[in-house]
Amino acid sequence: MGKRKTWYLVSAAVISLSILATFTKGFHYGIDFLGGTELIVEFSAPPDIGKIRTMMDQAGYSRSEIKQYGTASRVLIRTEHQEEGTVVGDKIKASLNQTFPDLHPTVLSTQKIGPKVGAELRRNALLAVLTSLIAMGLYVAFRFEFIYGLGALVALFHDVIVALGFVCLFDGMTSFMNFEVDQNMIAAFLTIVGLSMNDTVVILDRIRENRKIYRSMGLAELINKSLNETLSRTIITSGTVLLITVILFLFGGEVNRGFAFALTIGIITGTYSSIYIASAIALDYINRKQSKKSANVASAGKPRYETVQ
Amino acid sequence: MKKNRGKLVFILITVLVSLYFLYPTYKDYQLSKEARSLTGDDSTKFVESHDKEIRDAKAKRIKLGLDLQGGMRVVLEVNVLKFLDELAKNKDDQFHQIFAEVSEEAKASELDLVDLLKVKFEAKQVRMSRYYGLIRDTDDEVVTKLKTESTTAIDRSVEIVRNRVDQYGVSEPSIQKQGNRRVIVELPGVSKEAEVRQLLQGTALLEFKLVIDPEIASKVYQSIDRTLAGKPLEDTSKADTAKTDTTGNMASNDTTGDQNLTEEQAKKQHPFFYLAGTSSQQQNWSGELFSAEENKAKVMAILTRPDIQRLIPSDMGFVWSAKPGITAEGKKFFTLIPVKKTAELTGGVITNAKSTIDPVYNSPIVEMTMNDEGAKNWARITGSNIGKHVAVIMDNACYSFPRVQEKIPGGQSRITGMENIEEANLLSIVLRAGALPAPVDIIQQTSVGPSLGEDSIRQGVLSSLLALGLTILFMIFYYKTGGTMADIALLLNTLFVLGVLAAFQGTLTLPGIAGLILTIAIAVDANVLIYERIREESVTGKSLTAAIDAGYTRAFTVIFDSHLTAIISGIILYQFGSGPVQGFALTLMIGLISSIYSSVIISRVIIDILTERGTHVSFG
Repeated sequence: MGKRKTWYLVSAAVISLSILATFTKGFHYGIDFLGGTELIVEFSAPPDIGKIRTMMDQAGYSRSEIKQYGTASRVLIRTEHQEEGTVVGDKIKASLNQTFPDLHPTVLSTQKIGPKVGAELRRNALLAVLTSLIAMGLYVAFRFEFIYGLGALVALFHDVIVALGFVCLFDGMTSFMNFEVDQNMIAAFLTIVGLSMNDTVVILDRIRENRKIYRSMGLAELINKSLNETLSRTIITSGTVLLITVILFLFGGEVNRGFAFALTIGIITGTYSSIYIASAIALDYINRKQSKKSANVASAGKPRYETVQ
Repeated sequence: MKKNRGKLVFILITVLVSLYFLYPTYKDYQLSKEARSLTGDDSTKFVESHDKEIRDAKAKRIKLGLDLQGGMRVVLEVNVLKFLDELAKNKDDQFHQIFAEVSEEAKASELDLVDLLKVKFEAKQVRMSRYYGLIRDTDDEVVTKLKTESTTAIDRSVEIVRNRVDQYGVSEPSIQKQGNRRVIVELPGVSKEAEVRQLLQGTALLEFKLVIDPEIASKVYQSIDRTLAGKPLEDTSKADTAKTDTTGNMASNDTTGDQNLTEEQAKKQHPFFYLAGTSSQQQNWSGELFSAEENKAKVMAILTRPDIQRLIPSDMGFVWSAKPGITAEGKKFFTLIPVKKTAELTGGVITNAKSTIDPVYNSPIVEMTMNDEGAKNWARITGSNIGKHVAVIMDNACYSFPRVQEKIPGGQSRITGMENIEEANLLSIVLRAGALPAPVDIIQQTSVGPSLGEDSIRQGVLSSLLALGLTILFMIFYYKTGGTMADIALLLNTLFVLGVLAAFQGTLTLPGIAGLILTIAIAVDANVLIYERIREESVTGKSLTAAIDAGYTRAFTVIFDSHLTAIISGIILYQFGSGPVQGFALTLMIGLISSIYSSVIISRVIIDILTERGTHVSFG
């Protein structure tokens, strides 16, 4: 707890970086949220991406997204254009067969999402994240004390924002790292919220237990003690989960990759947010309240409580 | 030992039950492997002799999501707007205007469409009963009627889609109503997108309409042509104004008696016939027009113009042929048939439809039988129209317009003019299952090929095994004997999750496998909590048994709290997510619950048994 100021600064820096990344570089919506048509096509040999783009332009679908998907011979083609039913997908297929007859393009999967559906999924995703944040906050406030709920909530926000920021930052850095914000990504965020909550709860539980045992101990010291006691557990658990998410990231396939990346970042931030942020905020809040109280009382000559460092 | 005996038995039971539920999956895997290794006759014989086994195994094994086994997922939405449009009668300009406004607003508004319609009507101070329901109905009564009709239409649509899918013959299809307007159809293993779309979307409205007399039709065409050319409307019946080559040169017609008009002049003098030629010179002309594919839209635009509409008798309508014909030069053209607007008979009277090959012409046909009332009507219609043509129209496209040779008493009829037997098949299915009362739109469609699915399974299994393996090693290394106990609990945990999935027929998706892996992580966490606690307690000098006791008791509240928060996350995700993401939420929640069970109870029991036996259990 002593080095709180430092950690506040670090967090502030990381959050600002994330927010910057989110708003400038931006992120790519997956097709779930965008609406449109997406195809995954396999060729018998790596195709010329430029040629595909020209083909799409000619078909009337400019501003389409084309990228490598997994192996070099697989391509993901996506366009936001909306037409009746699956006309877009059919047209693209026909064009592909025309333009690359000797590369035997085979369509591995197609997705078409109407505009209304895309908007709905977006709205649902946002609702999901907000609801879970609020639900967590309430749960903690209910099981522990209100202020801890607030601290936990701040820590959770921090986690989600940083995870989002890093996803934006690293998206597209290599062809291995294609991160889109789609339903899987939202699932990752919610999992981060759940797991980070996990850590926070463990620490708060220890704090609560210690308050009962060491009634006379000052709050800052108490929190420090609780943190130290739970440290080994936190590190080990986070370590194992981290190991697992990294495995998922490397070997889990394209579908799970963005999800695994977000989770990895989330675990890291989740751990240190539970350790440093949640309790720190709670501590500062309580101390401020108490110093206000004692400021009112100071004129009466009562001793002040532990000051913050 | 006594207090643990009960628990031990319980654990054993759960393990056995899980294995029992998972057995079909294993069996199915074995059987498919064997079937694949055989070829030709052996393979068919194998499948036949093991038929029941195979079907049982398939029915009870773990359901794989579409992203793992390939297939199609289609979300249909009932187009209530079109439905309301079609329900209305006596539609006039005012109605079209109001309806256009409603369509525009409907895109943005969340209001129920019927309510929106009412609002618009009220704004214009027009009674809804002018177009809907009975004359004396108040607006509110009309609204209630319309709402009931749309709900019934939607429910019937779901049923009909279900019927069609059943008849199509997919194994394990899933059809679910979503909300109050949508149907989610999942067809594992299906890849023929175009067919499925046709199957699901075709309204299957079958109509038999009488073709208008060629003489009347001809007069109408001529008046249209003259109006467009700006000529007066008198009936200067120059009989040769409607001459043309019948099969060739549709787009550039010599339509006049003077064979030598240039194309430009032909276009100016006979603008209508330029776009839609006739073969009226031929003897068996039945009144139809021919139009090149690219001119279809123009012809329709002309026919719907209000000034042209006035020239067309009120009971006359037009319908395009379903299939194009091909000229000698290979150009595509469509036929436009003039028909009576009201259908003589509709598909509601069809009781059975069978697709087969006509032996005489060797072409695919659909033979239909009607119910009694339909048969009677059909006999009457055919009887009084011998020599005339009847158009067979499906979803507003004409498949054929054969000549009535004689009265048909038995209620038989047929549809010809399909391209291949598959199309005939689809038509017959759709006719049998019934016409959709309201049109449906495909608002979302996902189709995954099987190879992508296999890849996903492979990756999923690989990463799970890797994750599991590493975790197990770590636990043994760090917590020694205690760790081994935890590992056993971990393995059993994974078994339980899969067993529950199989038992409740939940679906395993690729994110679901990720969820499984995550559960491993969380289960580890639970154990770590306990063991760290035990270590702490032993340091304070307690005996091993006491430390273990304290560790488990103290850790329980924490485990419970922390797992509960993650479960809440899972519930929210399940609620708001769709498709594969729900699979993730499901596996996560099952995993969390079973992890509480396995880490707190199972490992405890094992450790207790060991300590009682005197084995020294170390916790690193």
